Order: sequence, then structure tokens, then C-alpha cells
Amino acid sequence: MQVVRLHGYAWALGATAVATLAGLAMRPRFDLVNVAMAYVPGVAFVALRQARGPAIAAALFAVVAFDWTFVPPEGTFTVDDVQYLFTFGVLIVLALLISRLTDDIRRQSDERACLAVAAEAERIRGTLLASISHDLRTPLAVLTGASSSLAERGDAMDPAERATIARDIFDRAREMSDHVDKVLDMTRLDAGGMELRREWVEVPELLSALRRQWAPALAHHHVVVDVPPDLPLVRADAALLAKALGNLLENVARHTPPGTIVRLTARQSGSEVILGVEDRASGLREDDLERIFAKFDHRTPEQSTAGLGLGLAICRAIVKLHGGRTWAEGLDGGGTVFHVALPVPPAPPMPVEHEEA
Amino acid sequence: MNAARPGILLVEDDPQIQSFLRATLATEGYRVVQSSTARRGVIDAATHKPDMAIVDLGLPDFDGVEAIRRIREWSSMPILVLSARSHERSKVEALDAGADDYLTKPFGIGELLARVRAGLRHATRAPHGSSVLAWDGVRIDLEGRTASRDAKPLRLTAIEYKVLAALARRPGSVVTHRQLLVDVWGPAHAEDTQYLRVYMKQLREKLERDPARPVRLVTEIGVGYRLALDD
Repeated sequence: MQVVRLHGYAWALGATAVATLAGLAMRPRFDLVNVAMAYVPGVAFVALRQARGPAIAAALFAVVAFDWTFVPPEGTFTVDDVQYLFTFGVLIVLALLISRLTDDIRRQSDERACLAVAAEAERIRGTLLASISHDLRTPLAVLTGASSSLAERGDAMDPAERATIARDIFDRAREMSDHVDKVLDMTRLDAGGMELRREWVEVPELLSALRRQWAPALAHHHVVVDVPPDLPLVRADAALLAKALGNLLENVARHTPPGTIVRLTARQSGSEVILGVEDRASGLREDDLERIFAKFDHRTPEQSTAGLGLGLAICRAIVKLHGGRTWAEGLDGGGTVFHVALPVPPAPPMPVEHEEA
Repeated sequence: MNAARPGILLVEDDPQIQSFLRATLATEGYRVVQSSTARRGVIDAATHKPDMAIVDLGLPDFDGVEAIRRIREWSSMPILVLSARSHERSKVEALDAGADDYLTKPFGIGELLARVRAGLRHATRAPHGSSVLAWDGVRIDLEGRTASRDAKPLRLTAIEYKVLAALARRPGSVVTHRQLLVDVWGPAHAEDTQYLRVYMKQLREKLERDPARPVRLVTEIGVGYRLALDD
């Protein structure tokens, strides 16, 4: 059949036409009641494959075509014999019945699909709980043990030892607080509860402020900011965008060795500004480039530096909220670049200064 | 002001945060006055005349932002805001209401003490007396509208002077986008953040050693700008 994706009503018309032709072929040898049967498969077919509307239409078309073509007096819509009303009734009931059954089956399969989605949500929740219990309980164990040893045996320790333990408590608590923030961010992003407070953002300024903010974490990396002078302003929630890009920087700080060159870039491409966080480390496998944006992706679960596996998912969600895109790409000669593309809105009215007005 | 022992008003309802803040501030030689509610904080600010206030934004009775607004009606002491992550938005409101600086919980005590020292330092420096800014070979006379860099005259536009003056009125403090925009261009332009992007860029090109890595005209992402005068 050449008409595959046509509307359901076209199917109804087609089925009626075919049945009418078959009926014409049957007419010389068959009783009129049996000729009416020629319409049954067509109506059944449309009711099975299409929505209820086309099914009823198929039944009505069949009635009209049968009446016009076969019921005496032929060529009119007049009905001599009341028994044909029964034939019409049967066709309509048949159409309704089949389309009702088909609906039920469709609904059940939709429900099954919903269940599958729920199961996926359940799986993510399971992973979330597992990762919270791993990523939060380990530092909690350190906090509990270390702080109690300070409280109970602190006097007996030498000051340097005491300071080290206290510093450990501080670091682990910071780390935990960071994890909790990420889980909360992800939850809010998933629930659609993040509201953007947009302002005009100058990308070079944002990147420069970010470099300053992340300087301590990237103290052993060589960070280079490489941006052209005349980039258009973008409209973004600067704090959230900084968080998204910060997660990319955190990812670099976490997964690349000291001494790695990190480039922060930006360029305009068509109607987008594309920001890049580029590292010259060993790079990722081709099939990991997309996977790492998934929630709770741990490239190396055993590694203590793996983190929660939410940073990139949060980055992607924030950028998506801005109508932008995120992707990762391998670099020739090793290394990875994470791209964040943001739409460029029409330029805002700029201030005009009249000299000494 | 008690020059020997500066007084700090601590408005914070959590007893444990109160306790470690009080203990640490005391070891630094500060006199600490504590209030657990916003209402009490406003009263204590009037009766104890502290040199600085540290205000938590999540207070039980009314909003810390409201407390800051009331204190600002008559006091110009530096106010440092402590905000929880869930109060991101109220942080900007608190700054709009007149707070000078903010610290997001959880924070390390080192960060807090640095902010307190900076706040007190700016307060003791006569804020309205000096209209001359000077750093790294740059010299700007805001009143006389003259500027120089490495002893060579520097041309700033009228608006550039205004933006600088708005920042210099509270050196070291965070000045929000809204405050700057209203101050320089008027209330009708309170949302025109693009104006600030243009002028900060121009000012940095004229005044910073490395405009791409500014150290004097500092961006507070999503909040505003800060004029950092101390090294």
C-alpha cells in the first residue's frame, strides 16, 4: 500500500471502496445479505488500526455505499426493506466494539510504559540512596570519629596533630555539604523548581570571575582564558550558569592530573555563543562522551575522587533550562572539551552617553 | 566606638552557630552581643551601638532582610549577612536593603574573620571624607573629576566617574546591580544590567593592570560589584 501514513479517515474511505468493489464482484452470485458481509472486514480493519472516529466513519461509509450501490432501488439512499437497517446496525455495533477493545489494549500498553518510567525513577532513586549512603556515610564516619577523638583526647595530642584532625573534619564536612547541595540542585532541577533570574551576562567577565573563584581548586593546573573581544551578551541566570560551568571545572580538577592545561574558551557560532572547558589530559573513550552526562555516572566507582556523578547532569540541566545545549568531544592528541552553547538574544538597548550632558 | 575592643552584634538563632562564632570572635578580641531574634537584634543594635553586625537571614520571628532595613534607617555600621543556600535570593535582597557583604553557609571561620576585619577597617576609614581613590599607580579624584595613571592624565567619562563613585561610597562592600543602576541611571533602569557590563568593561580597560583579570573592580557573580582597595 502506498498510503501508509495517511489519516484514519482516508483508511475508512479506502476500506469502503475496496469492500464496494468486492461486493460488485460478488453481487451476481451472492445474496444481498452476504454482499453486506464484504464490508465487515474493512470496518473491522479500520476499527483495529485507527481511532474510534475513523472506525465509526468506516461503518457509516459502508452503510452509505452499500445502500447506494446494492440496496434496491439502487442509486438512491431510499431503503425499501427494513431488514437492511439491521445490517447497518450490526456494522456500527461491530465498529464500536472493535475500537473499544483496541482502545483497552492500547491503554494497557500505555500503562505498562508508565510503569516502565516509574521503574526507571525507582532505579534512579535506588542509585541516589546507594550513592548518598556511600558518599555521605564515609565522610560522616570520619566526622564522628575525628571530632570525638578531639573532644575526648584532644588535650593529650600535640597541637599539630590536633590541627590536622580538625582540618580533616573541616574538609570532609565541606565535601559532604557539597554533595548535599548537588543532590538538592538535581532534585530541584528534576522537579522543575528552578526559576531563572536572568540578567545580561558578559561571557568574558563571567569566565574571568569563574577562574578567580576556582583558582584554589585548580591551583596545580594551568588555566588559560581565551575569548575574542567582541562577544555578544547572553541572557542568563549568572549564578546558575556559573554553577553549571563550575561543575565542568570541578570535573577537570577531579579527573585530570596536576599540571594539566585547562582552556576556557568562548566563540560565537551563528545564533549561539559556545563556551568550552578544554583539558589536555588523557581524554575519554568515544562511548563515554555522552554517558558522562547521565545522573550518577561514576567512571571509576572505586576511586575516592569520583564524586557523586551529578555535576555534569546538573550542568546539562541548567544549560537546557537556558535553552542551550551541552556536549563533550575528544581532542586530537588527547584531552576533552566540554561545550556549552547558549542562544544569543537580540542585543539590548545600550546606554548612550552625551558628553557632560 | 570602643577603639580597643570593637563590638560585634551577632543576630543568629542557631545555638551551636552562636556558640562557635561567639567563642572565635572573643579569641580575636571582639566584644560580642548576641540576639536570637530579628526584633531583639534591631533593639540591641540601638542600645549597644556595636561597630558591626553579623545577621543571619533565616531568623524565627521576621526576616533578617527586614531587620537590616530597620537598622539601616539610622545606622551606617557594616553589616555582614549569613545566608543559607536556600536563601540565595534573599542574599541579594539583604544587600539591596543595605548589607555590605555576605557569606554563604557553611563557611570556614577564616573567611568569616577576614570579612569582619575588612568590614571594620572600611568603617573606621572616614567613608565620606576621601574622594580620592588610589591603587597601583592609578589616582582618581571623584570630586574634582580628574584621574591619572602612572602620572599621566586619564580620561574618564561622566558616567564612568559616577559608577566609580557609587562603588567608592562603600569601598570593599558588595554593591548590587540594582543599587548601581538606580544610583547612576535612575530607577527606570534598575534592570538594565547590560549598562553595567559596558561600563565595567570600559573602567577595567582604563584602570586595571590586566583588564582580563581584574583585582580592583571585582565581579560578584549574579549579585553585583565590589571595589577592592586592600591588598
